Amino acid sequence: MKLKLFLILSVFLTENKGFIHWLEHNLLTCPFKSYTGLDCPGCGIQRSFVALMKGDLVSSFKLYPATIPILGLLLFAAAHLKFDFKNGAFFIKMLYIGVTLIIVINYIFKIFTNQLI
Amino acid sequence: MSEEQFPGEEPKKNEQEGGLSPETNPESASLKNEGTTMPVEPSTTSQQGTGFPPNNGGFPPPPNNGGGFNNGGFGGMQQTLPNATIVLVLGILSILTCCCYGIIGLILGIVALVLSKKDRELYAANIGAYTESSFKNLNAGRVCAIIGLILNILYLLLCIVLVAMFGFAALSDQDAMREALQNMQ
Repeated sequence: MKLKLFLILSVFLTENKGFIHWLEHNLLTCPFKSYTGLDCPGCGIQRSFVALMKGDLVSSFKLYPATIPILGLLLFAAAHLKFDFKNGAFFIKMLYIGVTLIIVINYIFKIFTNQLI
Repeated sequence: MSEEQFPGEEPKKNEQEGGLSPETNPESASLKNEGTTMPVEPSTTSQQGTGFPPNNGGFPPPPNNGGGFNNGGFGGMQQTLPNATIVLVLGILSILTCCCYGIIGLILGIVALVLSKKDRELYAANIGAYTESSFKNLNAGRVCAIIGLILNILYLLLCIVLVAMFGFAALSDQDAMREALQNMQ
């Protein structure tokens, strides 16, 4: 366990620049965006994740506000399935509703401020 | 459901004729029916069939306190529901795959809902046999799947509406699309 953690950390820390560089230049293209030129509700999450990996919280939030809550939700769900917290299911539900609200509000906001194109 | 409601209504009439209070459970109603002179009716048998869940529902209060002893006596633990984890994971993933025109998320959500329905029936069949936390997980996953399903359907509808409004040719041509959008405003 400790060895695994050490290996993962070492990969992230020693090849930090290389990994992010590779990630940044290998973004998956959104089929909706490549076909229509319009943003889909999930567009921006990869750029946002790369910004987060660089440690730039503000630009990560600006690119896609739901990235940090989504990561938190995934981590918490994994931890809950592993350790079985007392009210874990309830918190997962609430986090999920929050994430969906953020995504929907963000998309509507984008539509009304003409950031789609 | 409607078939079950009809036999459910008949005993009520019987109760009113017999002067029973409406709060008496279907068990006593079915007993009354057996006591009165129509034992062979299919409604009474179906009433007994529907009367079973309340019976099971009547037992579980002890299981919450003493059920542990019973299960401990068997030497077995309370099992987790078989699909609870899968339903939770699928429900969470159903919203993250909102790219690809909402189709992947739609499939995941439907699969999660079907699995959760099976497990809910399993849990309702014998409540004491499965852990409560796994049931909570299952319900959380179900809620997530429903929300994800709704959002994916909305997104799919949006795509269809866009195609219907502008057509494929304008959509695949970005400049024409931009002009069409600017004309709208």
